[in-house]
Amino acid sequence: MRPRPARYERVMVYTAGKRDKSHNYLTIALPKGRVLEETVGLLQEIDIDCSEALGRSRRLIFEDSSKALRFMVIRSQDVPTFVEYGAADIGVAGKDVLLEQDRDLYEPLDLGIGTCRMVVAEPRELEERDNPVHWTRIRVATKYPNTTINYFQEKGIQVEIIKLYGSIEIAPLLGLSERIVDLVATGETLRKNGLIEVEEIMVITSKLICNRASLKTKPERIKEVIEGLRKSVKSGRRGSS
Amino acid sequence: MPKKPNISLPQGVKDILPEEAAKIDSAECTILAIFRQHGFRRIITPFIEYLDTLSLGLDSGLKDKVFKFIDPHTGKVVAVRPDITPQIARVVATKMFDMTLPLKLCYNESVIRLQDPRNGTYREVLQIGGEYLTRKPSRTADAEIIIVAIEILNALGFKDFKIDIGDVGFIKTIIEGLPLDASELYAIKKTIALKDVSALERILRALGKRIDSRTKRCIMAIPSLFGKDEVLKKAGGMVWQEGARDKIDHLRGVLNIIDNEGLKDYITIDLGELRGFDYYTGIIFEGFAQGIGKAILNGGRYDNLVARYGYNCSATGFAFDLENLITAMEGDL
Repeated sequence: MRPRPARYERVMVYTAGKRDKSHNYLTIALPKGRVLEETVGLLQEIDIDCSEALGRSRRLIFEDSSKALRFMVIRSQDVPTFVEYGAADIGVAGKDVLLEQDRDLYEPLDLGIGTCRMVVAEPRELEERDNPVHWTRIRVATKYPNTTINYFQEKGIQVEIIKLYGSIEIAPLLGLSERIVDLVATGETLRKNGLIEVEEIMVITSKLICNRASLKTKPERIKEVIEGLRKSVKSGRRGSS
Repeated sequence: MPKKPNISLPQGVKDILPEEAAKIDSAECTILAIFRQHGFRRIITPFIEYLDTLSLGLDSGLKDKVFKFIDPHTGKVVAVRPDITPQIARVVATKMFDMTLPLKLCYNESVIRLQDPRNGTYREVLQIGGEYLTRKPSRTADAEIIIVAIEILNALGFKDFKIDIGDVGFIKTIIEGLPLDASELYAIKKTIALKDVSALERILRALGKRIDSRTKRCIMAIPSLFGKDEVLKKAGGMVWQEGARDKIDHLRGVLNIIDNEGLKDYITIDLGELRGFDYYTGIIFEGFAQGIGKAILNGGRYDNLVARYGYNCSATGFAFDLENLITAMEGDL
C-alpha cells in the first residue's frame, strides 16, 4: 500500500475523533503564535491543562481523557474556521481575525491578552504634507483587506488593496503602496521603517469564541469554561493594575 | 480529436446525481409524510414574482441577495424568490383569506440567494418547511410546529439533537423603550447576538446614568440566559417589564405542551438569541445536532407578515435546507 501523505492523515485523525461517539468531549482550538503561552496560562487557572501545546512534541492534536478534553494547535487565522464548522467547540482568536473573516460565532469573552492596535500608517515624508481629510482614493497594503475596505468605505474613501501576507511595513519603502493597515504593539517596527501612525482603526485583543451548536448542545460544559475564564480574567486585571 | 469545450455552471449551483438525489428523495418523503399526518397541506408557489410584490414581505438581509431581471414583456422588475414564507403570506392574504383559520401549509421548493459562494454557501437552496396560520398568536401552534420538527428529526434518524427556543420579543421589550438612539440599540443587539458580554459591559458603562443600574444588570444578564428550562425561572426572577414577562409566560406555556408530549429533553432555551429573519415577532427556534456545527433547521413566529399583504392573521413556521440536512444526517450516523 502506498503511504498516505501526512496532511491526509491529520484529516483522518480529526474525522475519527468526530465519529467516536465521544459527544461529551470538549474540543478547544489553541492559536499558534504570540498568544499561545498566555492562552495556556489562562486555561491552567481553571484547571484545564494544555501545557503540551508549549512542548516540543509538535503534536497538533492531544487529549486529556480524564477530563474529556481535546486540544488542537492551529494557525491563529484558522481558529474561527475550525470553530464555525464545529471541528472545535471553543477557541481563542484575535479580534483582527474575527473582524476580517466575519464568521457566525459567539464571542462571549474578551480575554484581555494579545493586546495591540490596528492602525493606518504612512511614510514620515508623506505624513508631513498629508491631510487624511483630503483622501479620495488611496492604495493600501495590508493583511486585512475586508476590514480595510469596510473602514475606508464608511468614510467614503475609495481604496485599492495590495494584499500581503507579511512584512507589510516595507510596502511603502518599495513603492508598492503609499499606506499600510497593520497591527502595532509598541510602534517600534513602524518607526524603524520610517512610518508614522495616522489613524487608529481599533484596539485588538484576543477573544474566547464558541461554536453555536456546541453552546446549545452542551450548555453546561461551555458555561463552566466561560464563567471560569471570566473570573480569572477579572482577577488577573485587578492583580496587574 | 476536437478539444473538449469548457462546460461549466455559474458559481453556487450544482447538479445532483442519482445517488444524492435518492437521499434527498427519501428525506423529502419522510418529512412531507409527517407534515401530512399533522394536517399540513402542500402548496406550490411560483419561482418568480414581481420584485415590488415580493419586497413587501422580504427580510432586509435578503433584499440585496435577490436575483432580479427585467421582464421583456412588461418592462417590470421580476425577482426569483429567495424565501418561500413571504410567498405563502401573499397567497394566504390574497387567495385563501376566505378559508377558515387555522391553516396548515407545507412546501418543498428551491430558492435562489445571491450569496458569496466562496463562503461555501450555495445560491440555490432546496427548502422544505411548514407554516401554521391562526387568528391570534397561539401557544398551541408554536408547540405543535416544534413538535413536528422534533418528530421529523427523529424519523430521519437523528439521535442527539436539540431544538433551541428563544423569543425576539423578549429583548425588544426590554431595550426598545429605553432612551437610546438607533445606533446604540443596534450595538446592544449586536453584542447580545454575539454573546459578547465584554463589549456589552463597555457599551453600557459608556451610557452612564442614561440607563439605571437595575436595567443595566438585567441587560448584562441576557447573554447568559441559555440552557435548559431553568433559564425561564431565572429570567422570570430577573425581569419586571410587563412585555418581557408575557414572553416568558408564553414560552412556559409552549414548553408545557411539549413536556406533555414527553419531548422536553429535546428543548433548550436561549433568551439572548436574535438571529433569524427580521419579520419574526415572537418565538424563534433552531435545530442543532451533536457534532454538526451549524443549525439544521430555522423557524419562528411572524405575526405581521401576512398583514403586509392585506390580511390580518398570526403565523409560525420553520424550514430545513435539505442538502444541509442530509450532510448532517450523514455526520450523525
